[in-house]
Amino acid sequence: MTVSLDALSARQIAAGVAAGSFSATEVARAALDAIGHREDDVQAFVQVTEELAYDAAARIDARRAAGEPLPPLAGVPVAFKDNMNLVGTRTTCASHMLAGYESVYTATCVRRMLDAGAIPLGKLNMDEFAFGSTTDSSAFHPTNNPWDLARVPGGSSGGSAAAVSAGEVTISLGSDTGGSIRQPASLCGVVGMKPTYGMVSRYGVVAFGSSLDQVGPFGRRVEDVALAMNALVAGGRDPHDATSQSCEQDFLVHLDDGVEGCVVGVIPALLEADGVTSEVRMALREAARKLEGAGARIVEVDLPNMASAIAAYYVLGPCEAFSNLARFDGVRYGYREDGCSTLAGQSALSRAHGFGAEAKRRQLLGAHLLSSELYERYYLSAQKVRTLITADYRHAFEVVDAILMPTSPTVAWEHGTISDPAQLYLADVFTISNNIAGNCGISVPVCLGADSGLPIGAQLQGPAFGDARLLTIARALERACDQAGVVAPACAGRGGELS
Amino acid sequence: MPQDPPLTNEDVAALADYARIALTEGELDEMRAYLNEAMALLDPILSYDLSDVEPTFHPVGGVCNVARDDVVVAGLSLEEALASAGGGVGRYFRVPAIMGDGGAS
Repeated sequence: MTVSLDALSARQIAAGVAAGSFSATEVARAALDAIGHREDDVQAFVQVTEELAYDAAARIDARRAAGEPLPPLAGVPVAFKDNMNLVGTRTTCASHMLAGYESVYTATCVRRMLDAGAIPLGKLNMDEFAFGSTTDSSAFHPTNNPWDLARVPGGSSGGSAAAVSAGEVTISLGSDTGGSIRQPASLCGVVGMKPTYGMVSRYGVVAFGSSLDQVGPFGRRVEDVALAMNALVAGGRDPHDATSQSCEQDFLVHLDDGVEGCVVGVIPALLEADGVTSEVRMALREAARKLEGAGARIVEVDLPNMASAIAAYYVLGPCEAFSNLARFDGVRYGYREDGCSTLAGQSALSRAHGFGAEAKRRQLLGAHLLSSELYERYYLSAQKVRTLITADYRHAFEVVDAILMPTSPTVAWEHGTISDPAQLYLADVFTISNNIAGNCGISVPVCLGADSGLPIGAQLQGPAFGDARLLTIARALERACDQAGVVAPACAGRGGELS
Repeated sequence: MPQDPPLTNEDVAALADYARIALTEGELDEMRAYLNEAMALLDPILSYDLSDVEPTFHPVGGVCNVARDDVVVAGLSLEEALASAGGGVGRYFRVPAIMGDGGAS
């Protein structure tokens, strides 16, 4: 009897490897087979690491043969957003600037997934340096939404969402600065979690917005995401990341506790906001009803300063990006324009030719906002607005355990149909405030749109370090919506069988 | 609060020089239009009276700086550090002149 990786959860794969039902090498071969059959359509990867995958699988199989206990993700196929360093791979940030950059060390988040037994299948496409919400700004190629190849997968972690949605890997990692995990998860019909700021080490992840960035997992089930979270926090605080907190815990313990007695907040005005489509509005109302049916109490809350979150974000994000990307100077690593007579000229030409348009836009905006004339009016004001947004959440979370809202105002749109950068920024309207406050958030697929037939995710936001509780509520929502484990229909069943 | 005057191409050229990103004439026009549109998006920030509000520079407050123990640990080797530098010279990174004309632009 053959089994397809499409049908197996991470826990089932690890259990099958541990029981000897199939080997980790057979899982790696099946995952590479699925990638071989689906990747031409989806183009989620910028690099497939066949050799690393077979090496890791062989080590797992050797440990089993030696009678050693296997780690919790033994044999589970994973892949990483290409802003995460992994020795033996290039780390490109989907930019010409880093097209030839070989990782000289491995990011802690990647290391912890590998230590948990996961099999690395490759590096995943993204918007260049994580600037975007479509993955179209990758310097190499766009990624296609597995549900409709003419559409974007969202971004910036579009490759991470698409690879999981297409069934090419079971779990992937992405990073979320303003919604870059949750929004593509929603558009691709998978679960994507942005943990609390500080929960997951960012050591070895190329920085974008240092007060906003957070690494998190994608999966086709909340349980897979919880398993990945266990691996990411194992070992506690990472001394290499000053923002890392000690958060070691088992997210599976209370995962199936349900929502009896939980209080979930909703903000009715958000559903009436400009740009929210009627199918998203209907889906979110139904999600609230289902949570209520599962035992949660639904109450109205307000985040009065949320409307200013986009403005605050587009001050803070570009300022931090301008500072972080100053390191790409054409000297120590990255694209280098030779033949210049001065250092300044070399840097200016290297950066001009190495960065794409959106990376230049964000850095110029940051440079402008940090100028002495504007610093107090914009940057300092944005940090004060952050205080107000954070206080709004604090007040709300005195009353509710989580807040339910859309992840994205719309389903996935067709490539190239939104080209105005400022218009694209509005796609993050529901996700950004969560990063500004440093809270946790997760997108859970709840249904296919009544008009489009494309996936719609509901977002749950929780208080800082309330990640375990958030996962429990997400699991209840997933169960009520019966969307767990779905592979995009156009990809399902194409390769990926365990013989 | 009064609006700032729109940015001109000369303003954008000065910003690009500061940011060390050489822009073509065509890019100057595009970036000027973008920056003026993006600045308009930021207007809500200016609508607040924030005189009594403290800034939050870091989303998770009350956290102390961390420092590792003061002991020598292995870092990158010289070869590793220079491997991505487009060809070092011996033990050094290779750069054009930084004195005289260098760095003045």
